[in-house]
Amino acid sequence: MSRRTKAANGRLAVFNLVSVSLISLGFMQGAAAGPIGTQALLESEIGAARTARLDVLLEREDIARQLAAFGVDPTEIRQRVAAMSDAEIAALERRIDARLVGGDALGVIGAVFLVLLILELVGVTDVFSKI
Amino acid sequence: MAIDAGAPRELTETPFFPQERYQCGPAALLTVLTQSGVRTDMETLVQQVYLPARRGSLQAELTAATRRAGRIPWRLAPGGEALVAELDAGRPVLVLQNLGVGWWPRWHYAVVVGVGGDRVILRSGTERRRVIRSRTFLATWRRAGFWGFVALRPDEMPAVPDRDRWFRTLSELEEAGQYALAAEAWERALAVWPGSAVALFGLANSQYGLGDWAAAEASYRRLLAARPGLAAALNNRALALMRLGRLDEAESEAERALAAAAGEPDFEHAVRETLAQIRAAREGSQSRSGRPSSTSR
Repeated sequence: MSRRTKAANGRLAVFNLVSVSLISLGFMQGAAAGPIGTQALLESEIGAARTARLDVLLEREDIARQLAAFGVDPTEIRQRVAAMSDAEIAALERRIDARLVGGDALGVIGAVFLVLLILELVGVTDVFSKI
Repeated sequence: MAIDAGAPRELTETPFFPQERYQCGPAALLTVLTQSGVRTDMETLVQQVYLPARRGSLQAELTAATRRAGRIPWRLAPGGEALVAELDAGRPVLVLQNLGVGWWPRWHYAVVVGVGGDRVILRSGTERRRVIRSRTFLATWRRAGFWGFVALRPDEMPAVPDRDRWFRTLSELEEAGQYALAAEAWERALAVWPGSAVALFGLANSQYGLGDWAAAEASYRRLLAARPGLAAALNNRALALMRLGRLDEAESEAERALAAAAGEPDFEHAVRETLAQIRAAREGSQSRSGRPSSTSR
């Protein structure tokens, strides 16, 4: 199979996934016909690389489905995704599981506790603060 | 690295909203938005940034929700200098910390409200005034990539200017559909950098986004007077003319855009779509009226 066919199939698979999804929110609609964005001119003026707009729209669909899987109220999802910039969407697409934040209880035991305690005492961490 | 603050300073009037379990994100966001004059509440922000199944909030959603509140999220340059400069401008800084270590992370959002001596003062979790050593703070902040931002009103500018990064931040408002906020901020940028093509283009695009085709067309025209062959401006002016129903002018402007975009594949692709759209609109208006027309729809 040629690389091009593979890429086309891959794209088709993504597209099918998006189109059968219950949370296809229409980010793809009207994708073709907008004005050229300010970011594109900025990048052209300063000679930076450009990102393709179509991919970002596909990614928005994907992020929307992930937010739904993480328990976000369905009536909020579209607005939450729409409020993100292309760069934020691209960053999330790469690592939605990382950088998640909360005051998780510390299940710290034994040696790990000792190491963390020492790091805390020498001012490297602040892990035992109550948050 | 240290935080060189000189005299101690603390934004003592910064409000405090103690967090519920796992909700340091909404609590920290509420703190900086309220300080910036936004009237909102915890419930609204939890709806906008909290991920129940992950018991946390994404950085991207905190900045996105800042836009929804009518504020511009300005990411700070790494290190203590920008942090102190923003505090001096009266703005508390929302930061991400890794309170643990790389192999045992404990992510936490807090708000820096003061620095002084070798201490940093935070609104954090359930503590109104948490004071920690600046060395410890910097270590926890560094482990989170020095991620932090302030919420700026559209008439404000970053304390440490960086023109291109500011322009990129404003163009993100457009991508997020915040056109009114963007228009106001681009106006401000034009006052600071009067000859900037990007700022004028940004203003025109936000007017277009607001559906104010006449204002957008005039702004693109103003830009083209200074930069006659600017393909992106020709393309977008053609679209604005189309929206105004001036289809003949729209088509010839799009043809000029096509010539100007030669050698810039991405722009060329966009211009071809514009041209196709305008021609389709012309055919539509001709078949409706039975004659060539450039009157409004």
